[in-house]
Amino acid sequence: MNLRRTFAISRRIANAFKRDERSLALMFVAPIIVLGLLGWVIRDQGEPETRFAVVNLAGAPGDRFQLAIEQAVADAGVTVVQVDDEPAARDALRNGDVDVVLVLPDDLLANPSGAPALRFITPGINPADDGGRVSRIQAALLPAMTGGAVPTIEPETIYGSPDGDQLDAFAPALVAFFAYFLVFVLTGISFLRERIGGTLERLLASPIRRSEIVTGYSAGFGFFATLQVILIMAFALGTIHVPANGPFPAFSIGLGIANAGSPALAFLVALLLALGAVNLGIFLSTFARTELQVVQFIPIVIVPQALLCGLLWPISSLPDLLQPIARVLPLTYAIDGLREVLVKGSDLSSDALRFDLAILAAIAVFLAVLASLTIRREVA
Amino acid sequence: MTSAVQGPAIVTQDLTKRFGELEAVAAVDLALPPGRIYGLLGPNGSGKTTLIRLLAGLARPTSGTARVLGVEMPSRSNLEHIGYMTQADGIYAELSVWENVRFFAALFGVHDDNALLNVIEVVDLADRRNTPAFELSGGMRRRLSLACALVHKPAILFLDEPTVGIDPALRVQFWGYFRDLAEAGTTLLVASHVMDEADRCDELLLILHGRLLARGSGTDIREQAGVPDLEGAFLKLGDGSRPS
Repeated sequence: MNLRRTFAISRRIANAFKRDERSLALMFVAPIIVLGLLGWVIRDQGEPETRFAVVNLAGAPGDRFQLAIEQAVADAGVTVVQVDDEPAARDALRNGDVDVVLVLPDDLLANPSGAPALRFITPGINPADDGGRVSRIQAALLPAMTGGAVPTIEPETIYGSPDGDQLDAFAPALVAFFAYFLVFVLTGISFLRERIGGTLERLLASPIRRSEIVTGYSAGFGFFATLQVILIMAFALGTIHVPANGPFPAFSIGLGIANAGSPALAFLVALLLALGAVNLGIFLSTFARTELQVVQFIPIVIVPQALLCGLLWPISSLPDLLQPIARVLPLTYAIDGLREVLVKGSDLSSDALRFDLAILAAIAVFLAVLASLTIRREVA
Repeated sequence: MTSAVQGPAIVTQDLTKRFGELEAVAAVDLALPPGRIYGLLGPNGSGKTTLIRLLAGLARPTSGTARVLGVEMPSRSNLEHIGYMTQADGIYAELSVWENVRFFAALFGVHDDNALLNVIEVVDLADRRNTPAFELSGGMRRRLSLACALVHKPAILFLDEPTVGIDPALRVQFWGYFRDLAEAGTTLLVASHVMDEADRCDELLLILHGRLLARGSGTDIREQAGVPDLEGAFLKLGDGSRPS
């Protein structure tokens, strides 16, 4: 082994790095940004705004418990809402007026030695939100429950199937995430090639308009994004059972996730998101010189969205400074929209879904304008 | 699509393009009659590409004007009459010869398959019609690039180093196409730093540091400089123009 030749290779790499500030910055800055953001989100997480109601099925003996519970959670900063009965409480959950309902069973005091079963009812649209709120209430109740038997908790949701699992709640978010991430990377690289390969120069030397380039790109990549979303959704929502055949055991393809709404509407949400991603790719390709640099945008563009979009932690509990950022990210609205459709079964009569669609469309248009501004031609 | 413009095909007045401190094109005045081959000669970095980009409407002059076919550039509608073969091949590697030509034709509103086949035949790629560009040799890619610049039968053709990196036989073939086009009325402006191509042009424009150094036929310029070859003429004429 010749040390000088070996050293020449190492030095070559160091010299190349010196002139590629982007890669250097990515190596040193990106992990700090991502870890810092993660730390910020987890450490400075506020309590999500929680509106809580108690339904007492135990009659007069339960009143004492209801008052004690309401007092304890109010002391912990939870807003207590009064409801008449369980149907009214369920309506309030459905309308978004209440976040968590605790039902005291009629047999609350029937067996003083046994543990009472408390039912916590949540909307079930966003498990991260629900989980955060329920544990906040449990934490507030814990000191009030000393001495008695520890109650068992029976979680219940308004939406979603009772025998559903975590995947039911995560799947809508993951569909959106894939559509966004892959389309962004593909378009970014493809448009970068136009810029460095001389074809963009050629395009611009023809009578084509910038808007025609951006629209053509959106339609071209939009078509493949459409196929991708159809495939992801089919895999997520459907299942095909393949019976055992000779030495091969039976297996099933697809996740078979419970779906309450129209797949067409869910598809519309994902498509609007993907169109935004196409134009984000065109826009960011301006700032890259090589394909590698497009890939380097991933930790800057994609990872913070994943942390802030409400997939892992509810937006209302993010640090105050990060909440406005979360509310301008397209993924936030896509995930919310997909949950509205798939979990809640909303259709176009739902204000929440219409709002999500409108914001996603506005973001796609905004990014399209931004993209076309980066395609410079000095043409009057 | 050759338009019957009276007067010069290209006129520039005091055409200047600055990038910060750098004057890439400096006060160039030109009036070039149509139907001829003009050789834009100069070393690398002398401003040839910037001058062509100004004429093709891809850059806006810092000062002065550029008129092509009587229309001040940049003008999007005028691009219909202009063909531009870039220094890079500027073709899509994943597309076949036919698909590349069809794409660029569509940008100019040309949808006549026979016309496209004709262009592919002119550059001698008819038997490679369905070959993806990434499978073509370097010379074939240059020919395809030329075909893409010719599809809309432009009245003016800007060719930026069209023969760079291609073998002598293909170079002769290229100049054959260029001569045919000029005879059919097309105005060609060919940027090159290869001096031995100069004598194939009707007129030469020598450019250095963004300035027009000399203009005339190869013979005129050699006589003007009092040297027997163009390289020598270039060095001699360029001596006084190096910015201090």
